[in-house]
Amino acid sequence: MSMQMRTFILGMIGVPALLALVFLTVYGEQAGAIIARILPRVPMLLTGSADFSSLEGGFVANILISLWSMAIAIVTGAMLGTGLIARSAFVRLPSSLVMNLLRNSPWLVVLFAMLYLLPFEIEIFGFTVSLSPAVKAVIGLALPVTANIAEIFRGGVQAIPSGQWESASSLGYRRLQILRHVVIPQALPLMVPNLMTMYSMLFIGTSLVVVTGANDVLSVARTIIAVDGDAVATAIYIFVLLLFFLFCFPIAILTRRLEHRVGTSHP
Amino acid sequence: MTTTSTTKPLIEMRDVRKSFGTYDVLNGIALDVREGGVVCIIGPSGSGKSTILRCINGLIPVNSGTIRVGDFAVEAMKTDRELIALRHQVAMVFQQYNLFPHRTVMQNLTMAPIQVLKENPADVRERALKLLAKVRLTGKEDAYPSQLSGGQQQRVAIARALAMQPRVILFDEVTAALDPEMVSEVLNVIRDLAGEGMTCVLVTHEMRFAQEVADEVFFTDRGVIVERGPPKQLFQSPNDPRLKDFLDKVL
Ligand SMILES: Nc1ncnc2c1ncn2[C@@H]1O[C@H](COP(=O)(O)OP(=O)(O)OP(=O)(O)O)[C@@H](O)[C@H]1O
Ligand SMILES: [Mg+2]
Repeated sequence: MSMQMRTFILGMIGVPALLALVFLTVYGEQAGAIIARILPRVPMLLTGSADFSSLEGGFVANILISLWSMAIAIVTGAMLGTGLIARSAFVRLPSSLVMNLLRNSPWLVVLFAMLYLLPFEIEIFGFTVSLSPAVKAVIGLALPVTANIAEIFRGGVQAIPSGQWESASSLGYRRLQILRHVVIPQALPLMVPNLMTMYSMLFIGTSLVVVTGANDVLSVARTIIAVDGDAVATAIYIFVLLLFFLFCFPIAILTRRLEHRVGTSHP
Repeated sequence: MTTTSTTKPLIEMRDVRKSFGTYDVLNGIALDVREGGVVCIIGPSGSGKSTILRCINGLIPVNSGTIRVGDFAVEAMKTDRELIALRHQVAMVFQQYNLFPHRTVMQNLTMAPIQVLKENPADVRERALKLLAKVRLTGKEDAYPSQLSGGQQQRVAIARALAMQPRVILFDEVTAALDPEMVSEVLNVIRDLAGEGMTCVLVTHEMRFAQEVADEVFFTDRGVIVERGPPKQLFQSPNDPRLKDFLDKVL
């Protein structure tokens, strides 16, 4: 059994066991009763609906928001990253300014800013698009992630030896062609582990979107606590922690596997 | 080719100067290569040999002087389109091969003609197969560079340069990174090319090879051409003390 497989199994058993221990310590002999009270709330926490009838809220919303943010940030991050390595200072310096601003902004601050900066709805080519809290959350999270991905992109591109640029230039390739046909295909495998780590951080960051009023898992949790009373609060939050762990930990293990492979493989 | 030729040379550098920051690397280089000629550039490390080659195909801009390749005034080239037209005519082979490691041998040969020159892929592949035969690598089409020896990789690099159908090839110490037993397989390919009339500019430390294939040898030191002449004359009766000193060390 590989090293990572062992870590994986150990974590998947050990961490839930640890959370269970905390739960038992907190609730003592009430534990059974509390479980009976929160069990019916699980569908709500997972999907935002009491009977799995829709898949729009709760933990599913966190997953959807993270996927949309990541998809957008990969595109915008690659663009900003291309700006970071541009030859012209007119492109490079503004890109670097934007990147540094976004990368050093606390995510929660960016989310709050989006809440007030973005209008309720916008008009694009005559279409009225309403900016729901979830959309604002997606944009707000995509901004700092864009900056981080731009840095990952720049690092990946710069890890490719300059001889590749030189030989491609001598074959008549232009700068953007070199990036597209020669450098990025080689840099991508180097970038994937970093992108996955970024995604994990983004996913954990989706817990912040509770401030936008999106129907995410924390919003649902708070509503449940408001209805069922503070007695269930700790139990609910322990359950939410477990959900985040079960989602992020496999990604972390996969990332480590890939890092290992990138380090040793040949094309 | 010792008598004066009436046709004008294919490559002509006049008083080329180049500095990196405050450091003067080329201090007035004059050099010419006739069509079909084989020219070797020799000189101590850091004397500017690689820089001369990079200036000829416009990889780095010069500070002053003129460089003409065919009808191109290289020093005045600005746009990408002009540079691409130049690089179609001037190919280059590097000391470290610089093959594309994520592409097969075949793709290394065909990428630029298809993507840059927009040639018909089927024609390019047919030509690539012939070139692989020429560098004695038939059967290696689908190998990746990392699966080849250094000598094989360098021969792929030469075939890749030839696939552009250039008028001249610049070789920058192409055997310097090779294990000794692989040097001759690469030199043999270059010898064939020279024999077929391909214009070649070689930066090399292989003095015996230079003596054998070159029409003319240029000796550089600290960014100037100190002495030039037919190989026999340069190697057997050098005039400049710096050249004598250099030959004493390398021969
Ligand atoms: N891009 C650059 N920036 C700064 N200095 C450079 C650059 N390229 C070359 N040089 C310097 O210019 C000088 C000449 O370099 P060049 O590579 O042309 O020498 P060379 O004759 O090819 O030497 P070698 O035999 O070691 O390859 C060296 O001192 C080198 O450090
Ligand atoms: Mg050199």
